[in-house]
Amino acid sequence: MNEVGTSPRRGGGYGRVTGHQEYLADIKLPDMLHAKLVTIEVSRARILAIDTTAAEEIPGVVFVMTPDDLPQPMIRFGPQFQDRPVLAAGEVKYHGEPVAAVVAESREAAEAGARAVVVDYEQLPGGVFTVADALAPDAELVQDPGLRPGSAFADTNIIDEKNFGWGEIDPGDADLVVEDTYQFPMVTHFAIEPHAFMAAPMGDGGIEVWSTIQHPYLLQKMMAKMFEKPLSKVRVHAPDPGGGFGGKQIPKLEPLVIFCALRAERPVRLVLSLDETFQTVRRTAAEIRVRLGFDSEGMMKFSDIETNFLVGAYVDIADRIVSKSSYAAAGPYSIPAVKIIGRTIVSHTTPSTAFRGFGIPQISWARESLIDEAAYQLGIDRLEIRLRNVARYREPFIPNEEADGDWEQTIRTAAKRIGWGDPLKPNRGRGIAIGLKSGPTTGLSYSTVRLLFDGSAMVYAGTSDMGQGARTIFAQIVATELGVPMDQVTVVMGDTAVVPYDQQTSASRSSVLMGTAIQRACFDIQGKIRAMAAGLYQLDENAIKVEPGILLLPDREVEMTAVMQEALAPLGGEVIGNGEMRKDKMPDHPLGGTAAFFEFNCTASEVEVDMETGATTLIKHVTVGDTGRSLNPNQVHAQDDGAAIMGLGHTLMEHYIFDDEGRVRNIGAIDYRIVTSMDLPIEMHSESIENADGPGPYGIKGVSEGSLLVTAPAVGAAVREATGKVIRDLPLTPQRVWEALQEGK
Amino acid sequence: MNRFEYARPETVAEAVALLDEYGPDAQILAGGTDLVIELRNHWVEPKVVIDIKRIPELAPAIVEDDGVLSFSATTVMADVVANDVVQRYFPALAEAADVVGSVQIRARATLAGNICNGSPAADTSPPLLVFDATVVVAGPSGVRRLPVDDFIVGPGKTALERGEMVIAIELPIPEQGFGSAYQRLTRRRGTDLASITLCCGVSADGVTRFAYGSVGPRAFLVTDDTGELADPSVPVAEKAELIDEVFHLASPSLKSLRASPEYRVAMLRVLGARALETAIARLDKELVA
Repeated sequence: MNEVGTSPRRGGGYGRVTGHQEYLADIKLPDMLHAKLVTIEVSRARILAIDTTAAEEIPGVVFVMTPDDLPQPMIRFGPQFQDRPVLAAGEVKYHGEPVAAVVAESREAAEAGARAVVVDYEQLPGGVFTVADALAPDAELVQDPGLRPGSAFADTNIIDEKNFGWGEIDPGDADLVVEDTYQFPMVTHFAIEPHAFMAAPMGDGGIEVWSTIQHPYLLQKMMAKMFEKPLSKVRVHAPDPGGGFGGKQIPKLEPLVIFCALRAERPVRLVLSLDETFQTVRRTAAEIRVRLGFDSEGMMKFSDIETNFLVGAYVDIADRIVSKSSYAAAGPYSIPAVKIIGRTIVSHTTPSTAFRGFGIPQISWARESLIDEAAYQLGIDRLEIRLRNVARYREPFIPNEEADGDWEQTIRTAAKRIGWGDPLKPNRGRGIAIGLKSGPTTGLSYSTVRLLFDGSAMVYAGTSDMGQGARTIFAQIVATELGVPMDQVTVVMGDTAVVPYDQQTSASRSSVLMGTAIQRACFDIQGKIRAMAAGLYQLDENAIKVEPGILLLPDREVEMTAVMQEALAPLGGEVIGNGEMRKDKMPDHPLGGTAAFFEFNCTASEVEVDMETGATTLIKHVTVGDTGRSLNPNQVHAQDDGAAIMGLGHTLMEHYIFDDEGRVRNIGAIDYRIVTSMDLPIEMHSESIENADGPGPYGIKGVSEGSLLVTAPAVGAAVREATGKVIRDLPLTPQRVWEALQEGK
Repeated sequence: MNRFEYARPETVAEAVALLDEYGPDAQILAGGTDLVIELRNHWVEPKVVIDIKRIPELAPAIVEDDGVLSFSATTVMADVVANDVVQRYFPALAEAADVVGSVQIRARATLAGNICNGSPAADTSPPLLVFDATVVVAGPSGVRRLPVDDFIVGPGKTALERGEMVIAIELPIPEQGFGSAYQRLTRRRGTDLASITLCCGVSADGVTRFAYGSVGPRAFLVTDDTGELADPSVPVAEKAELIDEVFHLASPSLKSLRASPEYRVAMLRVLGARALETAIARLDKELVA
């Protein structure tokens, strides 16, 4: 059953589209209580008192969890810094930070209780809401310096500053130097399934946790440490999330829900509303200053990029976003001299976290837009300037990293598809941009595969399938290697008591890393069956060749399943294989390891701008990615199209809007606009470059982020060509484009 | 959502009696597309919700009688859009009704509810003003009729008094040719609340009626009897100053999230000109036909 390059029916897809899939919010435990967060309508306040009397009198309310009920000093946690309190610690540091939680017999009672809690607070003046606020000489400190002892930046709002680069920048080397500063707004993930959490005490002193988490094993590790339990006594259930996009990677409210469950001695569930997710996760905003030097032929002489990432009140994983994206900030170009600075800057805003693209869309927006500026000034075609500078196949372009694909081929394919160079109709423009994102730098995935007696198979993986289709990919690998029909492979995920360890579901890693572990588990089974065949047919093992699903004996070919059945009869049984994929830390590498692969993408877009209203219509949008090989072409297209559409959100309409006091004004689906089917490009294409040169099974690379890396600069460039106006802030709303059109009128 | 009584009266008289009894503590449920959100968010906390969907007198119906097209209070947007008479005589109303919310919303939301909600951004207010709609109101002292221009008062406010409810909306079918067009400004093409709602109607005798919303406490109606705006022999591009005058009532909010006041004012001119051009073209087509 060779399923490489096929597009079988999606695993779990039927349940998702018919409403049968059990999301966390569908799970009801006997005796379960409901929690509701208590928040206040300011971004900064000192909490003076929390009066729970009225709330506790509401029928059904069991108790109100306040900061005073938690271990003191306030227990804190985080994946990089132990800075996030379980509940606001004396001070609210961003709009929507949970102050308390009401636990009740019903959701309605919990909500009524939350409205009845009286929080006495003193609103604090000022606040840090922008990069400028944070870096002002007299800026107030968002975080207590005591949280980061020993840090050179402890007395500032800078968490850390990353410095990368090579070569010496000498502007005298360049015939043209261009420089500008660009802004990238705060946006939120807007997963269709809001975050949900549930916890229950186990009879033996352990804890059971349910979460919409992408990384069940990270949650297990963090909770075991926090609650001082052995790993074996923290069981994490992670039902397939309804969209993650990075926003569900890192534990957030699980500790609070566990504390509530332990206090209640009953299961407690907290399901966030869409509105609450706005105050739980967002992408880092950024201010990006870029300076580029070129010779008269358009060859890049140097690149100097300084990015101030505005993260939230607590760091979450944001400092990693800054280092990883900054490392690749100069992009897929061969440049003799590069200087990169990336700063992680805290503010009184929603804590930012991982988000599809992991910092790259922010930097690419600036770099690619400025390359266009240079192209215009040099009189060189915008496609041509990229082709001249892009790293050649296998060429080292960042220290320790080489171009792992034929990127020129990728660019040319996109250019051809968009009709680059064809005459344009009035009010239209085209743009093209390229970008890349480093795949995982470390990884550890284990898998167990069981070939059952009847020839069906089960595969166990700690990956989360949040819609990206991991279940299908894993089944395809098992079907291929063991010769099992697709519909007889069951993929088991989402329970740390059942599936072996997986580091995480992120960075487009799972097909490559977990896929390799699964393939190796299949190899383990193949080896065991070969040994069975050797015994059965009195052959030397070396005389038996293994091919996917079959064994080649000297005189004939036999199906693995048949060999197994013959060997295991009459008792029956199964063959179990284990596989491991480890990408170890490299202690000397600034990121802790080289990229397992790059996601390289070229996006080209043609737009038409209504010169009277500023409204942009996407006529045609093309994305081409280097996938190595598309194990499942339908899913690759779905990921690429989906990522491109998501990218159109921050490009055209999405952004948090704050008032002067740091409150988010456009929380929810009414005034925070995401792209709908009505807003899609009239024509949309995604294509893959497949040279089977990736590190994963069958030569695959990871996909799923590539198509949003450079959506904004491609569309922005098209708008620039159509209007003649340069816009350096996102999103390109009709009003913003109209305002640009008014300049000079 | 707080607890409330649910009433399902069988006659308008019963509904009116309940409305009179509870006053501000009553909410009418027709489509519910606004009410349910308001209940969920605790923006309204009524003691009674009066479901008027099963009142036979108000059964969804669009009836043409003696030169008047009448919409019962439970007529939903989707039916307005699909109606042949609306499409023929009131295309701007069909256009406006067709952009309210989403497909699902339009299958539930009522035309009457759109104006009763009192939103300055209600899509159907401008066409109802341009078409000189009459609102039929039932109350404790009987039925009264008032022009929609008098019915719409301000944000969340209508001319309804205690105990009163809308039972129908009536549009006089134009006796002479009438061209109309609807325009709106949104932040995206998909479902959105409008930053400008605008309708233009031009009659064969040269009267131009403009109505526009989202740029003040309520939708405004401005009429030009001079014949200058409607003059088909003068290109719309040359009527910029006249169009500007039409929008002198606009006072867009300084604090809106959706669009700056400068942008809204500029877009009123752009959309106004486009609506006028389309209305004139439609009138011309109608007269030729």
